[in-house]
Amino acid sequence: MSTDEQAREQLIDLAAEFYDQFAGGQIPRMTLPTRTKSNIEYDEDKNVWVYGDRTSSRTANSVRGAQKLLKAIYTIDFLAQQLDEDRSSTLRELYYLSESWDHEDAQFKNQDESNDLVEDLEIVSEVTREDFHMRPEESGATLMGPLFLREQTRRGERDIHCQEDVGEGGYQIPNNPDTIEFLDNDADFVLCVETGGMRDRLVENGFDTEYNVIIVHLKGQPARATRRITKRLHDELDLPVVVFTDGDPWSYRIYGSVAYGSIKSAHLSEYLATPEADYVGIRPEDIVEYDLPTDPLADSDINALESELEDPRFQTDFWEEQIELQLDIEKKAEQQALASRGLDFVTDTYLPERLTEMGVI
Amino acid sequence: MTSYQSQLGEGEGIAEELAESQRSISIAEFFEKNKHMLGFDSGARGLVTAVKEAVDNALDACEEASIAPDIYIEIQEVGDYYRLIVEDNGPGITKEQIPKIFGKLLYGSRFHAREQSRGQQGIGISAAVLYSQLTSGKPAKITSRTKGSETANYYELIIDTDTNEPEIDVEDTTTWERPHGTRIEMEMEANMRARSQLHDYVQHTAVVNPHARLELKEPTNHFKYERATDQLPAETEEIRPHPHGVELGTLIKMLDATDSYSVSGFMQEEFTRVGKKTSDSILDNFRDRHFGREMAWRPPQAHEDVDVARAVQQAVSNKGKDATADFADGVASVIDGREYVAHHEIGTIVDNHADRVEDEYGKTFGSTVRESAVEAAWQAVSDETESQLYGIVDEVTTKRKDDAAVQGLAERIASKFETRPEDHRQRVTYDDLTAYVEKSAADTKEYDDETFGETSREKIVDAIWSLMRTVPDDVPNVAEVAGDRDCASDLLTAMRETDIIAPPTDCLAPITDELVEEGLKKEFDADFYAASTRDAAVHGGDPFIVEAGIAYGGDIPADGKVEVMRFANRVPLVYQRGACATTDVVKSINWRNYGLDQPGGSGIPNGPGVVMVHVASTNVPFTSESKDAVANIPELESEIELAIREAARELKSFLNKRRSLQKRRKKQNKLATILPEMAEKLSEVTDREQLNIDDTMARIMNNVLVERQRENGTVKLVVENNTDTNADLEITDIVDADPGDVEEAQVVEMDGEWFVKWNPTVSGGDEATLEYSLDEDASCDVTVDGVEDEKLTINTES
Repeated sequence: MSTDEQAREQLIDLAAEFYDQFAGGQIPRMTLPTRTKSNIEYDEDKNVWVYGDRTSSRTANSVRGAQKLLKAIYTIDFLAQQLDEDRSSTLRELYYLSESWDHEDAQFKNQDESNDLVEDLEIVSEVTREDFHMRPEESGATLMGPLFLREQTRRGERDIHCQEDVGEGGYQIPNNPDTIEFLDNDADFVLCVETGGMRDRLVENGFDTEYNVIIVHLKGQPARATRRITKRLHDELDLPVVVFTDGDPWSYRIYGSVAYGSIKSAHLSEYLATPEADYVGIRPEDIVEYDLPTDPLADSDINALESELEDPRFQTDFWEEQIELQLDIEKKAEQQALASRGLDFVTDTYLPERLTEMGVI
Repeated sequence: MTSYQSQLGEGEGIAEELAESQRSISIAEFFEKNKHMLGFDSGARGLVTAVKEAVDNALDACEEASIAPDIYIEIQEVGDYYRLIVEDNGPGITKEQIPKIFGKLLYGSRFHAREQSRGQQGIGISAAVLYSQLTSGKPAKITSRTKGSETANYYELIIDTDTNEPEIDVEDTTTWERPHGTRIEMEMEANMRARSQLHDYVQHTAVVNPHARLELKEPTNHFKYERATDQLPAETEEIRPHPHGVELGTLIKMLDATDSYSVSGFMQEEFTRVGKKTSDSILDNFRDRHFGREMAWRPPQAHEDVDVARAVQQAVSNKGKDATADFADGVASVIDGREYVAHHEIGTIVDNHADRVEDEYGKTFGSTVRESAVEAAWQAVSDETESQLYGIVDEVTTKRKDDAAVQGLAERIASKFETRPEDHRQRVTYDDLTAYVEKSAADTKEYDDETFGETSREKIVDAIWSLMRTVPDDVPNVAEVAGDRDCASDLLTAMRETDIIAPPTDCLAPITDELVEEGLKKEFDADFYAASTRDAAVHGGDPFIVEAGIAYGGDIPADGKVEVMRFANRVPLVYQRGACATTDVVKSINWRNYGLDQPGGSGIPNGPGVVMVHVASTNVPFTSESKDAVANIPELESEIELAIREAARELKSFLNKRRSLQKRRKKQNKLATILPEMAEKLSEVTDREQLNIDDTMARIMNNVLVERQRENGTVKLVVENNTDTNADLEITDIVDADPGDVEEAQVVEMDGEWFVKWNPTVSGGDEATLEYSLDEDASCDVTVDGVEDEKLTINTES
């Protein structure tokens, strides 16, 4: 049975469960893990953060619950058909498509609602979104480095070398990186970079060739595909992964979602998170040590830092020390702040020193 | 400088000149000029007021004679004038009284009576007659037939405004089809602009008089308001005035008029709720007011140098040694035994022992001896007063005052008592005592620089006053009190000071809450009715009862504000709504608490509602003679508010329930569209057969689900209670074949149909099965009572 067929079966099984509840005179319900910070816990076996035991139910007992379930059933119907016809669609398309559904209560009010529902269905059916053939809107991020791979495209297989066969922009990560097969590589480690500016600086300075590094551009909060390919690079090619971001609370969360998994997709942590990923910087200690140009912390930054102190994912000695230091100095700095020491400072001094210190090179 | 007097004198005879134009005004003349005071200020209003006066009289007359009122009102257009005819089926009026009742202002039976009635002053109907004659120049035509008489008396009369006496134009006997009753016909300048007030008046009258039948015929309309009950209002007892409810002028008038000699007899005879005991308390208070009290002092103690016995002994001479000693010891031992003793008490003690010693020793103790003995003993007792006053002042002034100042104040008060040679008995009224203390305190402030505040001073006065004794003197008799205004005023104060139980309430005839509700039901087709009747309360000696009623929803217009109907003694108040205490109270209530829309949280609420308030009293406090608005008296307002709130609480629970049922219905409607859609989609996705979702629906709605299952000639009705409360149900299955006997059910046959009826109680979350045998071909139809439709699901398809 193909993955598509299996995904379709699992969706229909879910619908059958609702059917049986109706037939037995029960109130249809869908039980989901509670998706909040307080309900994620560390899975010691898999080394990732997953949902805890707390669950919440959607039941047809209330008008809201009934509408949610109706939407879920319509979406199941749509996804089953899509799989049947081997088509795919984007999350945004799903939202607009619902406009055509004949029952007004089945239509989505906004895209957050449809996005959330797809995540709900992933959880209860244990099928990933990619296997539903649902993709996000924006194209995935890029990578650059000494990696040779084979991608299954709609126009057949393509063999691509991620330095020689690509332009300055790098290799575009497809929505479902599981269609990629790694052929060969000369890489020593993987460097995930938050901002486009820093990625371009590293490529321009030839950092990827000099140190045999695969540079993955995270583009802010990384898409699932970016996280997935990062995990595969680590797991399958046995490459160490390090993350290089700005020095502010929001960037620590970017690292967190690469390393520990995000709260919203904790059900997929096992599949997306790279717990071994290490954090390069910018660290609050760097701000002090290198005397970097800074911005003061805004109130929202302080709240975010305090909330991170309570986040189970950040409860390590390293993070507690760094976050408390930052709260103390009340400053934050961008990656580009390193340019105050010269354009080559980051590639000649900062990264080599830090990575040596971390034992990566 | 010329004096004013001489200037006046120059224009000789100005006063005389003025005097020529000064003359007395007849009451009729006065009202001719002040029509508005009686509600006749305009043509529109005059007509309404005339109807009101005539109808009020008619209702009063019928009720007094225990006749269920049947009142006919007709308004005809006659050229430039309107003709008003009001007929009743009352007892009729005797020939002699007719001219006076209709042709003389301030003539009536009610003004002096403390009894609940519509009319009170004897102005109303004669004022209407006066108004009609002033505007149209035509006489009023009155027909009245008393019960049992063959013919009716007919009069045409006007009021002579100079003399306030009826002037009879025509006097005749006539025949009339009514066996008894009165009819009045008046022509007046008027218009029908106040039609809506007229209709309101008649309709509202019908609401509060459910025992009356009313008919209103206008040139273009004809309304009939039928009787809702045969129960006449309870007959009211006339009561005597309550001591708390009279004023000084009234009291003096009563004193002048009474046959009683003593004040005690007068009080018990002329007032309600005054018996011997109450009368005694009033008289004691009267004595305190009139004579003042006598100061009582503590007798000298053993360690003091003063000796009462010796003082008495020295005051008595020539009575023999033994007798004198015995007398003195007797008096002294009684005095010493008292905690405090006043002058008149010593008088009594001396008299007692003088009598005893006279008997025992055969000596005569004359009044001179007795008096000197009393004075000697009193001297001894009142010798040392400063220390006693010091004790009192020190005790009641809680704050630590300077000791010397307290001593100073006590000395000053003591000296006030002593320096009254004209009254060595130390008799002081409360006001005098207050003055003593005030003056002493002022002096203490000046000389000792210590302030005794108002509270301290009051406490000192009260402490001393409570030690003082009421004197045993005889109070003045009725004639003396009546002749002395101050004395009468003392008596009035004493009456008001005395605690007296509230006046009896059998002089009041509330509509009762049931009949208020009936009245509302009769005139308003609403969804909800509530009514409340408060217990009687008292204001100024007049008992009153407040009732309130609320009707809501149904056909009552939903746009605009709630209608407020005001009544006093069963008379609708139509005008001056804004000046009425009732309106003020309705506006002050926060109706949002009771589920009504009230923009801004005050004012008359919005919505399809009617709020009625009835004030019944022997003397309803109106703001003016036209009796349009109830005055803002705090006691009355508070009772009105409580009555309205009582009824409004029921309204609140009704509205809450209705809202929750509405919400439930809305939810049910919504789910009733979503769930079938869901079921259909599920059948489609899973490729399975159509689903029946009734059970699920019932469960979701926390409903009571009744489901029929038929199998092999057995019918099962499964009752599933998904609510969390017990359901007491009445389930009837109507079948077209004989089911035979059914366990726990009643079977009744009617026209070939069998009604199988159960009364099960199913507790919350439980299930019950009702089972019986029935031919498989027979059809059946189940009905369920005891649960709201919104909470019931019947599923008999399967």
